[in-house]
Amino acid sequence: MAKSEFWKKHENLYFAVTNGKVIFGLIVFMSILALAIFGPMFAKYDYDEFAGPGYMPPSKEFWFGTTLMGKDVFTRVVFGLRSTFLVGFVGGTIATFVGLIIGFLAGYYSGKLADETLMMITNIFLVIPTLALLIILSAYLPYRGILSQSVIIGLTAWTWTARAVRSQTLSLKNQEFVNLSRISAAPVTKIIAEDIAANMFSYVFMVYIIQFTGTILAAVSLEFLGLGPTQGISLGLVMQNAVNWNAIQLGLWWWAIIPGLLLTILIVSLYFINTGLDEVFNPRLREM
Amino acid sequence: MKKYLGKKIFIYLITFFFAVTIDWAIPRFMPGDPIQMLLSRFQGMEGGREIIQAQITASFGLDRPLLEQYFNFWVSLFKGDLGTSIYAFPKPVMDVINQAIIFDILLLVPSILLSWIAGNKLGAFSGVNKKADKYMMPFFYFLTSSPYFWFAVVVVFFFGVQLPWFPISNAYSATMRPAFTIDFILDFLHHWFLPFLTLFLVQLGGWAIGMRNMIIYEMGSNYSKYMESLGASEKLIRKYAFRNGVLPQVTGLAIRLGNIIAGALTTQIVFSYPGLGFILLKAIQNQDYFLVQGCFLFIIIFVLLANFTVDIIYMFIDPRVRFSYSGEV
Amino acid sequence: MKIHWKVLLGVLLVLLVSTMAFSYERNETLVYGGGLWGAPTNWNPLTPWGEVTGTGGLVYEYLFHYYPLTDEYQPWLAVKGEWVTPKVYEVELRKGVKWTDGKSFTAEDVVFTFEVAKNNALHYSNVWEWIVSVEAVSPTKVKFVFGDEPHYQEWKNIIYDLRILPKHIWANMSPEEYLSTANANPVGTGPYMADSTGQDRMVWVRNDNWWGNDVFGQPKPKYLVNLVVNSNNVALGMLMKGELDLSNYFIPGVPKIKDTFGLTTWYKGKPYMLSENSALLFLNTTKGAMKDAAFRKALAFAINPEIIVERVFENQVEVANPTGLFGEGWMKYYDETVAEAYGFSYDPTKAIEILDENGFVDVNGDGWRDDKNGNAMKFEIIVPNGWTDWMESIKVIANNFQAIGINAVPSFPDYGIYMNRIQDGSFDMCINNFASSRSSTPFTYWNWVATDEIDGKLVTDGNYSRYDDDELFTLIDEFNRMQDTDKGIMEKASEIQKKLLTAMPSIPLWYNGLWAQSTSNVWTNWATEDNPTGYPCSWAGKMQFGFVEMLIELESAQ
Repeated sequence: MAKSEFWKKHENLYFAVTNGKVIFGLIVFMSILALAIFGPMFAKYDYDEFAGPGYMPPSKEFWFGTTLMGKDVFTRVVFGLRSTFLVGFVGGTIATFVGLIIGFLAGYYSGKLADETLMMITNIFLVIPTLALLIILSAYLPYRGILSQSVIIGLTAWTWTARAVRSQTLSLKNQEFVNLSRISAAPVTKIIAEDIAANMFSYVFMVYIIQFTGTILAAVSLEFLGLGPTQGISLGLVMQNAVNWNAIQLGLWWWAIIPGLLLTILIVSLYFINTGLDEVFNPRLREM
Repeated sequence: MKKYLGKKIFIYLITFFFAVTIDWAIPRFMPGDPIQMLLSRFQGMEGGREIIQAQITASFGLDRPLLEQYFNFWVSLFKGDLGTSIYAFPKPVMDVINQAIIFDILLLVPSILLSWIAGNKLGAFSGVNKKADKYMMPFFYFLTSSPYFWFAVVVVFFFGVQLPWFPISNAYSATMRPAFTIDFILDFLHHWFLPFLTLFLVQLGGWAIGMRNMIIYEMGSNYSKYMESLGASEKLIRKYAFRNGVLPQVTGLAIRLGNIIAGALTTQIVFSYPGLGFILLKAIQNQDYFLVQGCFLFIIIFVLLANFTVDIIYMFIDPRVRFSYSGEV
Repeated sequence: MKIHWKVLLGVLLVLLVSTMAFSYERNETLVYGGGLWGAPTNWNPLTPWGEVTGTGGLVYEYLFHYYPLTDEYQPWLAVKGEWVTPKVYEVELRKGVKWTDGKSFTAEDVVFTFEVAKNNALHYSNVWEWIVSVEAVSPTKVKFVFGDEPHYQEWKNIIYDLRILPKHIWANMSPEEYLSTANANPVGTGPYMADSTGQDRMVWVRNDNWWGNDVFGQPKPKYLVNLVVNSNNVALGMLMKGELDLSNYFIPGVPKIKDTFGLTTWYKGKPYMLSENSALLFLNTTKGAMKDAAFRKALAFAINPEIIVERVFENQVEVANPTGLFGEGWMKYYDETVAEAYGFSYDPTKAIEILDENGFVDVNGDGWRDDKNGNAMKFEIIVPNGWTDWMESIKVIANNFQAIGINAVPSFPDYGIYMNRIQDGSFDMCINNFASSRSSTPFTYWNWVATDEIDGKLVTDGNYSRYDDDELFTLIDEFNRMQDTDKGIMEKASEIQKKLLTAMPSIPLWYNGLWAQSTSNVWTNWATEDNPTGYPCSWAGKMQFGFVEMLIELESAQ
């Protein structure tokens, strides 16, 4: 999409770039993203290499200190961040996408059999605790990579999105302009895509942010239970390792706290963006 | 009303059927052999392993055809028999779960309800008080952004080890024996507090944020403005806003249950706190089909019942639902 | 609101608890953990793989205890046991021993313990392939008659490993129950009795009428509370707070903080812990280049276990010698000349030399060595996911292999899949130590690393390498049929070591430790190097190594 066109069309963006929460969130998010993208380039070691003596606090040589075994925490964190972003991106996209499709369809065909069936499936998925399902599914794969992990999470995390999107669609579809399209015999896909989805764009974007964070948190929980990727590194694995190797009890706070704090800050920044956007898209909130 | 309720119950029953079928199927198709696992670390005498392996496999009925196993599963389910645990052999799964689930209930129910109540109150406060909101909102975000286990580990370190105010593991002191006495109850609560606090605080953040946003929406809505123009007191407007804001929070309760249970699972593991969490993890690691199924069954029933309750409550507090559900609006 | 919750809590608690008020005196109670991994459910001495730790040792006792540090047998339920002829073993039983239900312990109980395995499929039923009869000559004397060639070495193991059952209870059970009973009220002869259980603990109470009080002295703790502690970081936190008296967990960082928090370990300095078993790298000898003994030998030279010991274990373990043997019971058969002549140590140059000489060179120019026919080689080393110390170790080993041009990668399948793969042979290399634990005879070790039970679809009794060598199997079998005093047994042992070192189907890496850390707030005089009065091990099936003896020697800190 060309930018000039975009500006004209979306006055909302003006509010977005002037909203303090959005700016703050974006700056933090971008910094962490930059750390994930460029950090590994500055890493002097391999994340699994014994880089130096163990138990080293942060220093010039080891920016985030070293682990009990002497691995460089900075290297581990930046490589881990990459995977964490990947998980959030892939898992969040899948969850949003599946949730949207099911929610739209169910909402559009509300009251009909398709709706009943889709909502039934959604409820079944909602009832089976996601984490429990993940644990089982994970144990299924002989080896779990970061990608397969995110796909599994994405495929189980869409339920609330479907429900929410369904009710949004329900309220939208009875509005005039949708009825107009329907009268003019536009195809269903076109109605959903042009009338309903377009009007829900802001909503969908915020759903995506929440799915993004949700996927990351689910991945971290799995990793803590030892059901994370069996290959590679991620922020959750760094944290799990730190906990398992007694980093906290042994006073290696840089190993235990930094990755967790970074993760929390990342998610907080996303929430800030989300809240900010909420204010942008719902002018009522702007007045606050 | 009756039609709505009947339909709901029917849908719940079908959901239950499918959920239970999935519950039966998944662990059974997991790779690995539970019996081998049971014996894997046994340093036995020469050839002794083969002898008992055959014996045990037959006694669990694992040598039967799958369809027969599935059918038997339903039959015994209605008899309340969930089979014998392989990992906690020879204890029946029902007993294993019955004895563990009390700890989950004691942890989950208070933390869910109290955090829901406190979160809504705090969120509502934050929603109408701009000054407080500035400091409270980031704090809520911090809470809800923390992975349960990480929060638990930090809490343990500060309030269990650095400041040794609370015990950091197990459900009661090593020297205690369960008894209905003040001493024991205090000791139990002392151990219960940190895991409870973890669950309470992390959940609190989410509820507070939800309520804060709802209040801001409602306060800015047309009816609020209308009431304002009619000269209604701010207090009254807030009351109405809160009432309307609570509705989605009730739905949220049902939707988030799965997540909360997952949080409780990891929290229990950090605190070596007994309950289904640790049992489920052990059962999965040891591929104890029967126990895995049993744990899931209980979780499914718990979530279904909670959802059902929420549906009913919702039906009373918001009559619109009955219609919107079937799209009659 | 608050009051409301207290009421609910109260109601729920009533459901939870019994009505008796009781708490254990802390200074009479030993709190320990490390051997219990879930709610206690099974006290059946016939299912040692599933019993709550302490069932054997605290409740059910053995004919002998075995002291691994001095390689001595301590008569326990027996007072004497000897080979009166090469085919007859006689046991003189202790007088005045009572079961905790008041009945006397007699020779009939011992006879029953063996007889029950004759007619029922139990884990030790195989003894009847070489035992002819077991009879009570008198109430305190049992005579074992053996067939042509008694398995002398196995027998050495059985007499301190078989839990003796009370005939008057077990004879009344149906055969189905032998493997399926939970035996929730175990009746034994031992120093402790089951007191109570919880979801996260097992409590034992002292048996004040124990026969050993007059012989060895009374164990000091009135109660033993065995806690389920899920992870080593919780165990460390509890040790720091003095909530745990004895921990049998592998705890990273112990060398660093043991003095700060006053933790006692067996050795004051390196290696801190006693050795408990050998960890080996099994090479699947049915696959590709690993069929070649020279290749396997080269791998042995390529591994640097020092790094693993230093970095991963912080010197809490020791590097294994090339034979994998350790401990008094095994080391008396250790042949240093053989180990030196045929053994290995970290020497990558030597490894490269062997590989070059044998034609394992890089043919296709991808930087990795190829096999003799020029085909690319790639190996996967597996350990269970979550076994963090092993996971780190195989990363080191994979690096070592890569350094000499062998393409090897570490990989961490879940435990179940790991077990599947080592049992069905679909793995390349793996670390394992499941049955290489300390014992009184190296037979148990050899019979595990090189068992001949490798022909089935699954290999479950060791020798995951699937190394097939009838000569070696015969040697081990012959060793089993010899007494320690027999002429030629030393030579037999040397030959076995030589064969294993030449063939190198599995590479001994390090000796996993008997992890034990104790605090001194409540109990002192722990068994250590300077005070070897017991064996600080609460793991299942190992209490006859001196756990009870340690309890007797403990002193209250007050």
